[in-house]
Amino acid sequence: MRRPTIDFMGRRNWFFAVSGIIIAIGLVSLFTRGLVFGIEFQGGTVMTFEAQSGTTAEDIRVSLQKAGVADARNATIQTTQDGAFLVRTSEADPTKAAEAFRAVVSDLKLPEQDVTVTTIGPGWGRSVTNAALLALAVSIIAILIYISLRFEYKMSATAVLALLHDTLIVLGVYSLFGREVTPNTMAALLTILGYSLYDTIVVFHRIRENSRNLQKQSFMQMANESINQVFMRWINTGLTSIIPVLCLLLLGGQTLKDFAFALTVGMLSGAYSSVGIASTVYALWKEREPKFQALKKKFEKETAKAS
Amino acid sequence: MDPKTRNVVALVTIIALVAVSWWLFWPLDTKITQGLDIKGGVQVILTAKPIGNIPLTEDAMSRTEAILTERVNGLGVSEASVQRQGSDSLLVQLPGIKNSAEALKALGSTGRLDFVDLRSIDTSENLTYGVKVPAGSYDASSVVVAGSNVKSAGVTVDTQTNQPAVSLEFDKAGASKWGAYTTANVRQYIVILLDNVVQSVAQIREPITDGSTQISGSFTAEEAKRLAAVLQAGALPVELTPSSTQIVGPTLGGESLRQGLLAGLIGLGLVALFMLAYYRGFGILSWLSLGMYVSLLFGVVALLSRLGAYALTLPGIAGLVLTVGLAADSSILIFERFKEEVRMGKTYRTAAKSGTRHAIGTSVDADLVTFVSALALFVFAIGPVKGFALTLMLGIVCDLTVAILFTRTVVVLLAENVIPKAPQLFGLKGGDGDA
Repeated sequence: MRRPTIDFMGRRNWFFAVSGIIIAIGLVSLFTRGLVFGIEFQGGTVMTFEAQSGTTAEDIRVSLQKAGVADARNATIQTTQDGAFLVRTSEADPTKAAEAFRAVVSDLKLPEQDVTVTTIGPGWGRSVTNAALLALAVSIIAILIYISLRFEYKMSATAVLALLHDTLIVLGVYSLFGREVTPNTMAALLTILGYSLYDTIVVFHRIRENSRNLQKQSFMQMANESINQVFMRWINTGLTSIIPVLCLLLLGGQTLKDFAFALTVGMLSGAYSSVGIASTVYALWKEREPKFQALKKKFEKETAKAS
Repeated sequence: MDPKTRNVVALVTIIALVAVSWWLFWPLDTKITQGLDIKGGVQVILTAKPIGNIPLTEDAMSRTEAILTERVNGLGVSEASVQRQGSDSLLVQLPGIKNSAEALKALGSTGRLDFVDLRSIDTSENLTYGVKVPAGSYDASSVVVAGSNVKSAGVTVDTQTNQPAVSLEFDKAGASKWGAYTTANVRQYIVILLDNVVQSVAQIREPITDGSTQISGSFTAEEAKRLAAVLQAGALPVELTPSSTQIVGPTLGGESLRQGLLAGLIGLGLVALFMLAYYRGFGILSWLSLGMYVSLLFGVVALLSRLGAYALTLPGIAGLVLTVGLAADSSILIFERFKEEVRMGKTYRTAAKSGTRHAIGTSVDADLVTFVSALALFVFAIGPVKGFALTLMLGIVCDLTVAILFTRTVVVLLAENVIPKAPQLFGLKGGDGDA
């Protein structure tokens, strides 16, 4: 049985168009709606109250007001799926926040040990972002160097191009869905960048191997065959990677869900871009080399004649 | 080493590693340190700002860290810790504490170091190191010299007893006050207090008028170092503001842990089912590989926990779950490459040898690229994401270990002994078979 051969390279313009459209929608959303930043970026407090049956959001708001929380009226109070209340206020003083929380707990007689309070001072978000951007820059440089040494610079450049493509897509999706961006999101995003290269490396490995004695077909044809050769690997590694992350997305608590969402979007985009962007752009670029130009003339004509 | 010996050595090594891992991590709940977001407590990230125009130097930060460690220990919380984060932040973790307000007050204050005559302290307690005297047990006027008068302090050796001692240098104002006091109070006791906690009680042996003082006694080197650090840096050289304060109740943290582990286990189960359905016999092999992978990872994590270098946080759990997929990927690369080489007409034996070699080459490159970005995250990022990056790096190392020592070896052994007899069990037809 021969495996089906899919003409990935021939559909490259489709890939570029799809990516372009998704990125364009994302960019429009980023510029018009922007991103929703978590309290980590603005300063404020998140409290979780494990409520007793009968406690309502309004009880909590009134109690917060009694406890002297300045913006209790405007605080957002969400009910989580396990019946707890998630309260966000702009209170940035951890001592006051902790006191307010204690006051509400005793006021409404809630079980005390089931509570979390997180207070973030203003400026923390900027520190986290700066550190994350530094980490991103360093990891891109390190990846460029590593792939250039182990493979070649054209591969490293296209791999990083695919990576930037994934970043834009994840950011666009966050903006479109109005998901909250937290420091955890940024961590997940940075990691996924490395992880999304996994598939790219698998394909590049095969292209490099096949390009060693390239005489009987054009570079583009060989690259297409390489993708087909590793196609099942690509599908299966993608599946086994995303299954655990999807479980986390469906079953994990709030923090884990935040991670899992960024990971899921990044993984899908990463798997797609390794073929749709990294490999196609790389093959296009390689084919401009004189050596491969000759092969292209020779074999693309022949296929044209044959068909 | 001939191939047979190599296979035996590889298998024995991996089995030994797994056995050691089990010994290290069992039982899980006591052997793996849980992070604060899981076991509950207060976690504060303090960001330093320079006071006045004194720049924020590396030295100032490490002094601040030393002082905070001292204060955290003074709170009497077990397993409390202070860690540097980035260039200007400190992560303080106080497990089990529920009242963050009090802890914050004790941590963030600039600290008051007082030298007080023993007789002016109104307390019935026996004043030794670590005793906290109640506020108001001595008044400001009875303070002989204050921390601000200390110019420098260091560890030295008492030339008479050859024991470690602490040397102390006062500034001009301090030296004159200290000279007047010591001249008038020879044989009396001076108590050094940091925020009302006794650091040392010393007897005045002779008048000291040049400001250069030596405190000797039955110090160990460690104790002398601690006292010198306290004297040197009694007052915080920087201003600390809490950037992030997290109070986690123990029940909620435990609940998150259970959810995370459940998600991880279900994910692992689904991956295992998929592997069996698609790769048949090799699927079973991948179960063993995954089992060994999880064992090794828990083993390393338990080892680092024991060394105090690891705590499992919620982001860490996300890292654990993510690496399950990574571990399966390595197996997939090996099985696919082997099947491909068989399809190309190679014998099982040759296909196994060259296939596993190529596949591991790919795995190493793909894993290392992920490793590089996790490393950058671990080194440069701040906040809870460090736990995520560390877990991911450990996962990659364990994954490669299992792929190279175990999965590769077993595929080679199977190709020699089992696959030729029953290729269909592995999704292969006989001869030039295909999947």
